[in-house]
Amino acid sequence: MFTGENIVQIVAVFLNWAYAQLGISFLAGVINPIISAVVMFGFIAVFVMFLVWMERKVSAHMQSRIGPNRVGPLGLLQTVADAIKLTIKEDVKPVKRDKIPYFIAPIVAFVATFMGMVVIPFDKGMVVQDLNVGILYIIAITGFTVIAILTAGWSSNNKFALLGGFRSAAQIISYEVPLVLSVVPIIMITGTLSLTGIVEYQHQAGYWFILPQFFAFLIFITSATAEANRAPFDIPEAESELIGGFHTEYSGVKFAMFFLGEYIAVVVSSAVAVTLFFGGWLPLPFLGSLPIPGFIWFLAKLLLVIYLIMAFRWTFPRLRVDQLMDFGWKVLLPISILNILLTAAVWLLLYGKGAQ
Amino acid sequence: MEIFTYFKNVFSGLWNLMVGLSVTTRYFFNFKAVTTQQYPEERLPLPARSRSMIKLIYDGEKDQFNCVACLMCAKACPNSCIKLEGVRQADGKRRMTTFKLDFSTCIFCGYCVEACGFDALTFVSEEYENAVYKRGSLLQDEHAMKWVRPPQPVAEEAQKTEMATPAVAGA
Repeated sequence: MFTGENIVQIVAVFLNWAYAQLGISFLAGVINPIISAVVMFGFIAVFVMFLVWMERKVSAHMQSRIGPNRVGPLGLLQTVADAIKLTIKEDVKPVKRDKIPYFIAPIVAFVATFMGMVVIPFDKGMVVQDLNVGILYIIAITGFTVIAILTAGWSSNNKFALLGGFRSAAQIISYEVPLVLSVVPIIMITGTLSLTGIVEYQHQAGYWFILPQFFAFLIFITSATAEANRAPFDIPEAESELIGGFHTEYSGVKFAMFFLGEYIAVVVSSAVAVTLFFGGWLPLPFLGSLPIPGFIWFLAKLLLVIYLIMAFRWTFPRLRVDQLMDFGWKVLLPISILNILLTAAVWLLLYGKGAQ
Repeated sequence: MEIFTYFKNVFSGLWNLMVGLSVTTRYFFNFKAVTTQQYPEERLPLPARSRSMIKLIYDGEKDQFNCVACLMCAKACPNSCIKLEGVRQADGKRRMTTFKLDFSTCIFCGYCVEACGFDALTFVSEEYENAVYKRGSLLQDEHAMKWVRPPQPVAEEAQKTEMATPAVAGA
Protein backbone atom coordinates (compact mmCIF):
# COMPACT_ATOMS: atom_id res chain seq x y z
CA MET A 1 0.00 0.00 0.00
CA PHE A 2 1.12 3.54 -0.79
CA THR A 3 1.45 5.03 2.68
CA GLY A 4 2.89 8.21 4.06
CA GLU A 5 5.91 6.25 5.31
CA ASN A 6 6.65 5.12 1.73
CA ILE A 7 6.49 8.70 0.47
CA VAL A 8 8.88 9.86 3.18
CA GLN A 9 11.27 7.00 2.40
CA ILE A 10 11.17 7.72 -1.34
CA VAL A 11 11.87 11.40 -0.73
CA ALA A 12 14.69 10.51 1.68
CA VAL A 13 16.28 8.14 -0.84
CA PHE A 14 16.01 10.78 -3.58
CA LEU A 15 17.50 13.48 -1.35
CA ASN A 16 20.39 11.23 -0.29
CA TRP A 17 21.07 10.44 -3.96
CA ALA A 18 20.96 14.14 -4.82
CA TYR A 19 23.36 15.00 -1.98
CA ALA A 20 25.74 12.27 -3.11
CA GLN A 21 25.62 13.53 -6.70
CA LEU A 22 26.32 17.10 -5.63
CA GLY A 23 28.90 16.00 -3.08
CA ILE A 24 27.25 17.87 -0.21
CA SER A 25 26.26 14.92 1.99
CA PHE A 26 27.83 16.66 4.98
CA LEU A 27 25.22 19.44 4.61
CA ALA A 28 22.27 17.03 4.81
CA GLY A 29 21.70 17.88 8.46
CA VAL A 30 21.23 21.53 7.51
CA ILE A 31 19.29 21.18 4.27
CA ASN A 32 16.82 18.51 5.37
CA PRO A 33 15.21 20.63 8.11
CA ILE A 34 14.97 23.56 5.72
CA ILE A 35 13.20 21.38 3.17
CA SER A 36 10.86 20.08 5.89
CA ALA A 37 10.09 23.61 7.03
CA VAL A 38 9.40 24.83 3.49
CA VAL A 39 7.17 21.86 2.71
CA MET A 40 5.31 22.30 5.98
CA PHE A 41 4.92 26.03 5.38
CA GLY A 42 3.59 25.45 1.88
CA PHE A 43 1.13 22.89 3.18
CA ILE A 44 -0.01 25.07 6.05
CA ALA A 45 -0.40 28.17 3.87
CA VAL A 46 -2.59 26.35 1.35
CA PHE A 47 -4.49 24.57 4.10
CA VAL A 48 -5.18 27.79 6.01
CA MET A 49 -6.42 29.43 2.81
CA PHE A 50 -8.75 26.50 2.35
CA LEU A 51 -9.85 26.82 5.99
CA VAL A 52 -10.69 30.50 5.64
CA TRP A 53 -12.81 29.66 2.62
CA MET A 54 -14.37 26.76 4.55
CA GLU A 55 -15.12 28.97 7.54
CA ARG A 56 -16.88 31.48 5.33
CA LYS A 57 -18.86 28.74 3.61
CA VAL A 58 -19.80 27.06 6.91
CA SER A 59 -20.94 30.33 8.44
CA ALA A 60 -22.84 31.24 5.27
CA HIS A 61 -24.76 28.00 5.06
CA MET A 62 -25.53 28.09 8.77
CA GLN A 63 -27.12 31.49 8.18
CA SER A 64 -28.97 30.51 4.97
CA ARG A 65 -26.51 32.40 2.80
CA ILE A 66 -24.23 31.22 -0.01
CA GLY A 67 -20.87 32.66 0.94
CA PRO A 68 -18.00 33.44 -1.43
CA ASN A 69 -18.80 32.14 -4.91
CA ARG A 70 -17.35 34.65 -7.37
CA VAL A 71 -13.57 34.11 -7.49
CA GLY A 72 -12.73 30.73 -8.93
CA PRO A 73 -14.84 27.58 -8.77
CA LEU A 74 -17.15 27.73 -5.71
CA GLY A 75 -15.23 30.82 -4.61
CA LEU A 76 -12.18 28.74 -3.73
CA LEU A 77 -9.77 31.45 -4.89
CA GLN A 78 -11.44 34.13 -2.77
CA THR A 79 -8.82 33.71 -0.04
CA VAL A 80 -6.02 34.03 -2.60
CA ALA A 81 -7.49 37.35 -3.66
CA ASP A 82 -7.79 38.41 -0.01
CA ALA A 83 -4.17 37.42 0.67
CA ILE A 84 -2.95 39.42 -2.35
CA LYS A 85 -5.00 42.40 -1.15
CA LEU A 86 -3.52 42.14 2.35
CA THR A 87 0.07 41.89 1.13
CA ILE A 88 -0.08 44.90 -1.20
CA LYS A 89 -1.92 47.01 1.36
CA GLU A 90 -0.32 50.01 3.01
CA ASP A 91 1.17 49.18 6.40
CA VAL A 92 -0.41 51.80 8.65
CA LYS A 93 1.51 52.18 11.91
CA PRO A 94 0.71 54.25 14.98
CA VAL A 95 3.30 57.02 15.40
CA LYS A 96 3.81 56.52 19.14
CA ARG A 97 4.15 52.76 18.98
CA ASP A 98 6.91 50.86 20.75
CA LYS A 99 8.81 50.06 17.57
CA ILE A 100 10.67 46.82 18.24
CA PRO A 101 7.94 44.89 20.13
CA TYR A 102 5.38 46.16 17.63
CA PHE A 103 7.44 44.64 14.83
CA ILE A 104 8.25 41.39 16.62
CA ALA A 105 4.77 40.55 17.98
CA PRO A 106 3.13 39.30 14.75
CA ILE A 107 6.22 37.25 13.92
CA VAL A 108 6.14 35.56 17.33
CA ALA A 109 2.38 34.98 17.05
CA PHE A 110 2.86 33.25 13.72
CA VAL A 111 6.06 31.31 14.51
CA ALA A 112 4.92 30.10 17.95
CA THR A 113 1.86 28.37 16.54
CA PHE A 114 3.62 27.25 13.37
CA MET A 115 6.33 25.51 15.42
CA GLY A 116 3.61 23.28 16.87
CA MET A 117 3.27 21.59 13.48
CA VAL A 118 6.73 20.08 13.89
CA VAL A 119 5.62 17.14 16.01
CA ILE A 120 2.22 16.45 14.39
CA PRO A 121 2.31 12.93 12.89
CA PHE A 122 0.38 13.02 9.60
CA ASP A 123 1.01 9.33 9.04
CA LYS A 124 3.18 6.58 10.44
CA GLY A 125 6.68 8.01 10.07
CA MET A 126 5.36 11.12 8.28
CA VAL A 127 6.39 13.65 10.89
CA VAL A 128 8.98 16.39 10.79
CA GLN A 129 10.54 15.46 14.14
CA ASP A 130 9.02 12.81 16.42
CA LEU A 131 10.06 14.33 19.75
CA ASN A 132 9.68 12.05 22.75
CA VAL A 133 8.19 15.03 24.65
CA GLY A 134 5.87 15.91 21.76
CA ILE A 135 2.72 16.85 23.66
CA LEU A 136 4.65 18.86 26.25
CA TYR A 137 6.49 20.63 23.43
CA ILE A 138 3.22 21.63 21.73
CA ILE A 139 1.71 22.96 24.94
CA ALA A 140 4.88 24.90 25.71
CA ILE A 141 5.42 26.36 22.27
CA THR A 142 1.81 27.38 21.68
CA GLY A 143 1.91 29.11 25.06
CA PHE A 144 4.20 31.68 23.44
CA THR A 145 1.23 33.21 21.62
CA VAL A 146 0.16 34.91 24.84
CA ILE A 147 3.46 36.78 24.89
CA ALA A 148 2.95 37.85 21.29
CA ILE A 149 -0.60 39.02 21.94
CA LEU A 150 0.34 40.88 25.10
CA THR A 151 3.30 42.50 23.34
CA ALA A 152 1.12 43.49 20.42
CA GLY A 153 -1.49 45.02 22.70
CA TRP A 154 1.06 46.90 24.76
CA SER A 155 3.26 48.19 21.96
CA SER A 156 0.32 49.46 19.88
CA ASN A 157 -0.17 52.33 22.38
CA ASN A 158 -3.92 51.97 22.10
CA LYS A 159 -6.25 51.39 25.02
CA PHE A 160 -8.42 48.88 23.18
CA ALA A 161 -5.41 46.90 22.04
CA LEU A 162 -4.00 46.92 25.57
CA LEU A 163 -7.31 45.73 27.03
CA GLY A 164 -7.45 42.99 24.42
CA GLY A 165 -3.93 41.91 25.28
CA PHE A 166 -4.67 41.80 29.01
CA ARG A 167 -7.87 39.86 28.50
CA SER A 168 -6.03 37.43 26.27
CA ALA A 169 -3.30 36.91 28.85
CA ALA A 170 -5.87 36.22 31.57
CA GLN A 171 -7.80 33.89 29.30
CA ILE A 172 -4.90 31.87 27.94
CA ILE A 173 -3.34 31.40 31.37
CA SER A 174 -6.70 30.25 32.76
CA TYR A 175 -7.40 27.80 29.98
CA GLU A 176 -3.87 26.44 29.71
CA VAL A 177 -4.43 24.59 33.00
CA PRO A 178 -7.51 22.52 32.03
CA LEU A 179 -5.94 21.97 28.60
CA VAL A 180 -2.91 20.31 30.14
CA LEU A 181 -4.96 18.47 32.74
CA SER A 182 -7.28 17.04 30.08
CA VAL A 183 -4.27 15.50 28.35
CA VAL A 184 -2.84 13.98 31.55
CA PRO A 185 -5.14 10.88 31.67
CA ILE A 186 -4.05 9.86 28.18
CA ILE A 187 -0.40 10.27 29.11
CA MET A 188 -1.05 8.16 32.22
CA ILE A 189 -2.65 5.40 30.15
CA THR A 190 -0.14 5.35 27.31
CA GLY A 191 2.93 6.12 29.36
CA THR A 192 4.43 8.23 26.58
CA LEU A 193 4.52 11.91 25.63
CA SER A 194 5.31 11.20 21.97
CA LEU A 195 2.34 11.80 19.67
CA THR A 196 3.38 8.90 17.42
CA GLY A 197 3.58 6.69 20.52
CA ILE A 198 0.06 7.69 21.58
CA VAL A 199 -1.34 6.76 18.16
CA GLU A 200 0.60 3.47 18.22
CA TYR A 201 -0.94 2.70 21.61
CA GLN A 202 -4.44 3.29 20.20
CA HIS A 203 -3.56 1.03 17.27
CA GLN A 204 -2.52 -1.80 19.60
CA ALA A 205 -5.36 -1.27 22.07
CA GLY A 206 -7.90 -1.37 19.24
CA TYR A 207 -9.93 1.63 20.39
CA TRP A 208 -9.63 5.39 20.22
CA PHE A 209 -9.37 7.46 23.36
CA ILE A 210 -12.60 9.29 22.52
CA LEU A 211 -14.43 6.29 24.05
CA PRO A 212 -12.89 6.13 27.54
CA GLN A 213 -11.95 9.81 27.65
CA PHE A 214 -15.00 11.57 26.23
CA PHE A 215 -15.03 14.26 28.90
CA ALA A 216 -11.33 14.84 28.44
CA PHE A 217 -12.09 15.46 24.76
CA LEU A 218 -14.81 17.98 25.65
CA ILE A 219 -12.47 19.80 28.03
CA PHE A 220 -9.65 19.70 25.51
CA ILE A 221 -11.70 21.07 22.61
CA THR A 222 -13.16 23.81 24.82
CA SER A 223 -9.78 24.88 26.15
CA ALA A 224 -8.25 24.65 22.68
CA THR A 225 -10.94 26.97 21.33
CA ALA A 226 -10.16 29.39 24.13
CA GLU A 227 -6.41 29.05 23.49
CA ALA A 228 -6.91 29.94 19.83
CA ASN A 229 -8.94 33.02 20.85
CA ARG A 230 -11.88 31.88 18.82
CA ALA A 231 -15.55 32.51 19.52
CA PRO A 232 -17.24 31.91 21.93
CA PHE A 233 -14.01 32.73 23.78
CA ASP A 234 -12.95 35.61 21.54
CA ILE A 235 -13.11 38.37 24.15
CA PRO A 236 -9.49 39.45 23.41
CA GLU A 237 -10.67 40.58 19.98
CA ALA A 238 -14.35 41.08 20.67
CA GLU A 239 -15.39 43.31 17.81
CA SER A 240 -18.37 44.82 19.57
CA GLU A 241 -16.35 45.76 22.65
CA LEU A 242 -12.73 46.25 21.66
CA ILE A 243 -12.80 46.99 17.89
CA GLY A 244 -10.12 44.46 16.92
CA GLY A 245 -8.57 43.83 20.31
CA PHE A 246 -4.82 43.34 20.22
CA HIS A 247 -4.61 43.64 16.42
CA THR A 248 -6.54 46.91 16.21
CA GLU A 249 -3.45 48.82 15.15
CA TYR A 250 -2.11 46.22 12.76
CA SER A 251 -2.75 46.24 9.04
CA GLY A 252 -1.48 44.63 5.87
CA VAL A 253 1.08 41.86 6.18
CA LYS A 254 1.32 42.12 9.97
CA PHE A 255 -2.41 41.64 10.34
CA ALA A 256 -2.17 38.71 7.95
CA MET A 257 0.45 37.16 10.26
CA PHE A 258 -1.93 37.36 13.24
CA PHE A 259 -4.75 35.99 11.12
CA LEU A 260 -2.56 33.14 9.86
CA GLY A 261 -1.39 32.46 13.42
CA GLU A 262 -4.96 32.18 14.66
CA TYR A 263 -5.86 29.64 11.98
CA ILE A 264 -2.64 27.68 12.50
CA ALA A 265 -3.51 27.53 16.21
CA VAL A 266 -6.84 26.00 15.20
CA VAL A 267 -5.07 23.51 12.93
CA VAL A 268 -2.51 22.55 15.60
CA SER A 269 -5.07 22.09 18.37
CA SER A 270 -7.37 20.12 16.05
CA ALA A 271 -4.45 17.97 14.94
CA VAL A 272 -3.55 17.27 18.57
CA ALA A 273 -7.19 16.44 19.29
CA VAL A 274 -7.24 14.02 16.33
CA THR A 275 -3.98 12.43 17.46
CA LEU A 276 -5.01 12.07 21.09
CA PHE A 277 -8.69 11.19 20.80
CA PHE A 278 -9.41 10.00 17.25
CA GLY A 279 -6.50 7.70 16.57
CA GLY A 280 -4.44 9.99 14.34
CA TRP A 281 -3.79 8.27 11.02
CA LEU A 282 -5.64 5.06 11.96
CA PRO A 283 -8.53 4.20 9.62
CA LEU A 284 -12.11 4.02 10.79
CA PRO A 285 -13.10 0.68 12.28
CA PHE A 286 -14.17 -1.91 9.64
CA LEU A 287 -12.65 0.27 6.90
CA GLY A 288 -9.02 -0.61 7.57
CA SER A 289 -8.77 -2.81 4.47
CA LEU A 290 -9.52 0.07 2.08
CA PRO A 291 -6.46 1.26 0.13
CA ILE A 292 -6.57 4.75 1.64
CA PRO A 293 -3.25 6.09 2.95
CA GLY A 294 -3.09 7.14 6.59
CA PHE A 295 -2.57 10.86 5.98
CA ILE A 296 -5.87 11.00 4.08
CA TRP A 297 -7.61 9.56 7.14
CA PHE A 298 -5.74 12.06 9.29
CA LEU A 299 -6.78 15.00 7.12
CA ALA A 300 -10.39 13.81 7.01
CA LYS A 301 -10.56 13.60 10.81
CA LEU A 302 -8.75 16.94 11.06
CA LEU A 303 -11.36 18.61 8.86
CA LEU A 304 -14.17 17.13 10.96
CA VAL A 305 -12.70 18.48 14.21
CA ILE A 306 -12.06 21.87 12.56
CA TYR A 307 -15.66 21.88 11.38
CA LEU A 308 -16.69 21.30 15.00
CA ILE A 309 -14.64 24.28 16.16
CA MET A 310 -16.12 26.40 13.35
CA ALA A 311 -19.63 25.28 14.33
CA PHE A 312 -18.86 26.44 17.88
CA ARG A 313 -17.98 29.86 16.55
CA TRP A 314 -21.16 30.30 14.56
CA THR A 315 -23.48 28.77 17.16
CA PHE A 316 -22.54 29.97 20.61
CA PRO A 317 -22.75 33.55 21.87
CA ARG A 318 -19.62 35.17 23.29
CA LEU A 319 -18.97 34.76 27.02
CA ARG A 320 -18.60 37.76 29.29
CA VAL A 321 -15.20 38.19 30.97
CA ASP A 322 -16.41 37.08 34.41
CA GLN A 323 -18.35 34.16 32.90
CA LEU A 324 -15.19 33.17 31.06
CA MET A 325 -13.13 33.07 34.24
CA ASP A 326 -15.97 31.29 36.10
CA PHE A 327 -16.21 28.68 33.39
CA GLY A 328 -12.47 28.09 33.25
CA TRP A 329 -11.78 27.86 36.97
CA LYS A 330 -15.07 26.60 38.40
CA VAL A 331 -16.17 24.13 35.73
CA LEU A 332 -13.34 22.99 33.49
CA LEU A 333 -10.63 22.75 36.13
CA PRO A 334 -12.56 20.67 38.74
CA ILE A 335 -13.99 18.39 36.08
CA SER A 336 -10.60 17.76 34.51
CA ILE A 337 -9.10 16.97 37.93
CA LEU A 338 -12.04 14.67 38.64
CA ASN A 339 -11.45 13.02 35.27
CA ILE A 340 -7.80 12.37 36.17
CA LEU A 341 -8.79 10.85 39.52
CA LEU A 342 -11.47 8.63 37.96
CA THR A 343 -9.18 7.47 35.18
CA ALA A 344 -6.42 6.69 37.64
CA ALA A 345 -8.81 4.77 39.90
CA VAL A 346 -10.29 2.72 37.05
CA TRP A 347 -6.86 2.01 35.62
CA LEU A 348 -5.57 0.90 38.99
CA LEU A 349 -8.55 -1.43 39.45
CA LEU A 350 -8.21 -2.91 35.97
CA TYR A 351 -4.43 -3.09 35.44
CA GLY A 352 -2.91 -2.21 38.80
CA LYS A 353 -0.79 -4.55 40.89
CA GLY A 354 -3.69 -5.39 43.19
CA ALA A 355 -6.00 -6.36 40.36
CA GLN A 356 -4.03 -9.38 39.21
CA MET B 1 -26.63 19.00 47.87
CA GLU B 2 -24.80 21.85 46.20
CA ILE B 3 -22.57 19.40 44.43
CA PHE B 4 -25.65 17.87 42.74
CA THR B 5 -26.79 21.31 41.60
CA TYR B 6 -23.30 21.91 40.23
CA PHE B 7 -23.29 18.73 38.15
CA LYS B 8 -26.89 19.30 37.09
CA ASN B 9 -25.93 22.75 35.84
CA VAL B 10 -22.89 21.40 34.00
CA PHE B 11 -24.85 18.67 32.24
CA SER B 12 -27.85 20.85 31.42
CA GLY B 13 -25.44 23.44 30.00
CA LEU B 14 -23.78 20.76 27.91
CA TRP B 15 -27.17 19.57 26.67
CA ASN B 16 -28.18 23.10 25.73
CA LEU B 17 -24.99 23.56 23.73
CA MET B 18 -25.70 20.29 21.90
CA VAL B 19 -29.21 21.51 21.02
CA GLY B 20 -27.74 24.72 19.65
CA LEU B 21 -25.18 22.81 17.60
CA SER B 22 -27.88 20.55 16.18
CA VAL B 23 -29.82 23.58 14.94
CA THR B 24 -26.84 25.11 13.13
CA THR B 25 -25.79 21.73 11.75
CA ARG B 26 -29.28 21.15 10.40
CA TYR B 27 -29.15 24.52 8.63
CA PHE B 28 -25.63 23.80 7.36
CA PHE B 29 -26.69 20.61 5.58
CA ASN B 30 -30.00 22.03 4.36
CA PHE B 31 -28.77 23.60 1.12
CA LYS B 32 -32.30 24.46 0.04
CA ALA B 33 -32.59 26.91 2.94
CA VAL B 34 -30.34 29.38 1.08
CA THR B 35 -32.30 32.56 0.47
CA THR B 36 -29.61 34.65 -1.22
CA GLN B 37 -30.53 36.03 -4.65
CA GLN B 38 -27.59 36.22 -7.03
CA TYR B 39 -28.55 39.74 -8.06
CA PRO B 40 -27.19 40.41 -11.55
CA GLU B 41 -28.19 36.92 -12.70
CA GLU B 42 -31.30 36.38 -10.61
CA ARG B 43 -33.86 39.09 -9.97
CA LEU B 44 -36.41 39.09 -7.25
CA PRO B 45 -39.92 39.49 -8.72
CA LEU B 46 -41.18 42.78 -7.35
CA PRO B 47 -44.74 43.29 -6.12
CA ALA B 48 -46.94 44.84 -8.81
CA ARG B 49 -47.53 48.02 -6.80
CA SER B 50 -43.93 48.63 -5.77
CA ARG B 51 -42.75 52.12 -6.66
CA SER B 52 -39.54 52.29 -8.63
CA MET B 53 -39.70 54.85 -11.44
CA ILE B 54 -42.21 57.44 -12.57
CA LYS B 55 -43.34 56.98 -16.18
CA LEU B 56 -45.57 58.77 -18.65
CA ILE B 57 -48.27 56.48 -19.98
CA TYR B 58 -48.41 56.33 -23.76
CA ASP B 59 -51.59 55.15 -25.44
CA GLY B 60 -50.54 52.94 -28.32
CA GLU B 61 -54.01 52.81 -29.94
CA LYS B 62 -54.48 56.59 -30.10
CA ASP B 63 -50.74 57.12 -30.75
CA GLN B 64 -50.46 59.84 -28.11
CA PHE B 65 -49.67 60.41 -24.45
CA ASN B 66 -52.54 60.41 -22.02
CA CYS B 67 -51.26 63.68 -20.59
CA VAL B 68 -53.39 66.77 -21.29
CA ALA B 69 -50.97 69.24 -19.69
CA CYS B 70 -53.34 70.27 -16.90
CA LEU B 71 -50.30 71.07 -14.73
CA MET B 72 -51.77 69.37 -11.67
CA CYS B 73 -48.64 67.25 -11.26
CA ALA B 74 -46.34 70.26 -11.49
CA LYS B 75 -48.37 72.04 -8.81
CA ALA B 76 -48.44 68.97 -6.56
CA CYS B 77 -44.68 68.45 -6.80
CA PRO B 78 -43.06 69.67 -3.52
CA ASN B 79 -39.67 70.17 -5.20
CA SER B 80 -40.96 71.68 -8.42
CA CYS B 81 -39.05 69.21 -10.48
CA ILE B 82 -41.75 68.75 -13.15
CA LYS B 83 -41.75 71.18 -16.08
CA LEU B 84 -44.28 70.65 -18.87
CA GLU B 85 -45.89 72.55 -21.69
CA GLY B 86 -49.07 71.89 -23.58
CA VAL B 87 -50.89 73.21 -26.61
CA ARG B 88 -54.57 73.41 -27.54
CA GLN B 89 -55.26 71.31 -30.57
CA ALA B 90 -57.70 71.93 -33.42
CA ASP B 91 -60.40 69.82 -31.76
CA GLY B 92 -60.24 71.97 -28.64
CA LYS B 93 -58.46 69.47 -26.46
CA ARG B 94 -55.15 70.24 -24.79
CA ARG B 95 -52.20 67.97 -25.46
CA MET B 96 -48.80 67.80 -23.77
CA THR B 97 -45.89 68.80 -26.01
CA THR B 98 -42.86 68.68 -23.69
CA PHE B 99 -42.54 67.04 -20.31
CA LYS B 100 -39.39 67.21 -18.18
CA LEU B 101 -38.89 65.54 -14.82
CA ASP B 102 -35.60 66.15 -12.98
CA PHE B 103 -35.02 62.96 -11.05
CA SER B 104 -32.00 64.47 -9.27
CA THR B 105 -34.40 66.52 -7.15
CA CYS B 106 -37.36 64.15 -7.25
CA ILE B 107 -38.00 62.42 -3.94
CA PHE B 108 -40.45 59.85 -5.36
CA CYS B 109 -43.17 61.01 -3.02
CA GLY B 110 -45.81 60.09 -5.58
CA TYR B 111 -47.88 63.27 -5.23
CA CYS B 112 -47.77 63.84 -8.98
CA VAL B 113 -49.11 60.35 -9.64
CA GLU B 114 -51.90 60.92 -7.12
CA ALA B 115 -52.72 64.35 -8.52
CA CYS B 116 -52.98 63.16 -12.09
CA GLY B 117 -56.62 62.83 -13.05
CA PHE B 118 -56.08 61.55 -16.58
CA ASP B 119 -54.18 58.32 -15.92
CA ALA B 120 -51.11 59.88 -17.49
CA LEU B 121 -48.45 59.35 -14.81
CA THR B 122 -47.70 56.09 -13.04
CA PHE B 123 -45.16 54.24 -10.99
CA VAL B 124 -43.65 51.20 -12.65
CA SER B 125 -42.15 48.42 -10.56
CA GLU B 126 -39.59 46.74 -12.79
CA GLU B 127 -37.24 49.64 -13.62
CA TYR B 128 -35.34 50.03 -10.38
CA GLU B 129 -31.77 50.30 -11.69
CA ASN B 130 -31.69 54.07 -12.10
CA ALA B 131 -28.06 54.85 -11.32
CA VAL B 132 -26.38 57.09 -13.90
CA TYR B 133 -22.85 58.35 -14.51
CA LYS B 134 -23.73 62.02 -14.97
CA ARG B 135 -26.18 64.08 -13.03
CA GLY B 136 -27.57 65.54 -16.24
CA SER B 137 -28.80 62.11 -17.28
CA LEU B 138 -31.36 62.30 -14.48
CA LEU B 139 -33.25 65.07 -16.28
CA GLN B 140 -35.62 62.95 -18.33
CA ASP B 141 -38.02 64.12 -21.00
CA GLU B 142 -41.15 62.54 -22.39
CA HIS B 143 -39.21 60.24 -24.73
CA ALA B 144 -37.20 58.79 -21.86
CA MET B 145 -40.30 58.43 -19.70
CA LYS B 146 -42.53 56.94 -22.41
CA TRP B 147 -44.13 53.76 -21.13
CA VAL B 148 -46.83 51.64 -22.73
CA ARG B 149 -49.02 49.77 -20.30
CA PRO B 150 -48.67 46.08 -21.02
CA PRO B 151 -51.92 44.23 -21.88
CA GLN B 152 -53.37 42.88 -18.67
CA PRO B 153 -55.48 39.81 -17.96
CA VAL B 154 -59.22 40.41 -18.10
CA ALA B 155 -59.94 39.65 -14.46
CA GLU B 156 -57.28 42.05 -13.25
CA GLU B 157 -58.47 44.69 -15.72
CA ALA B 158 -61.99 44.52 -14.32
CA GLN B 159 -60.66 44.80 -10.79
CA LYS B 160 -58.46 47.71 -11.74
CA THR B 161 -61.23 49.74 -13.36
CA GLU B 162 -63.45 49.03 -10.40
CA MET B 163 -60.83 50.38 -8.06
CA ALA B 164 -59.87 53.27 -10.30
CA THR B 165 -63.41 54.52 -10.89
CA PRO B 166 -63.93 56.44 -7.65
CA ALA B 167 -60.61 58.19 -8.08
CA VAL B 168 -61.55 59.32 -11.56
CA ALA B 169 -64.98 60.41 -10.38
CA GLY B 170 -63.45 62.37 -7.55
CA ALA B 171 -61.01 64.09 -9.86
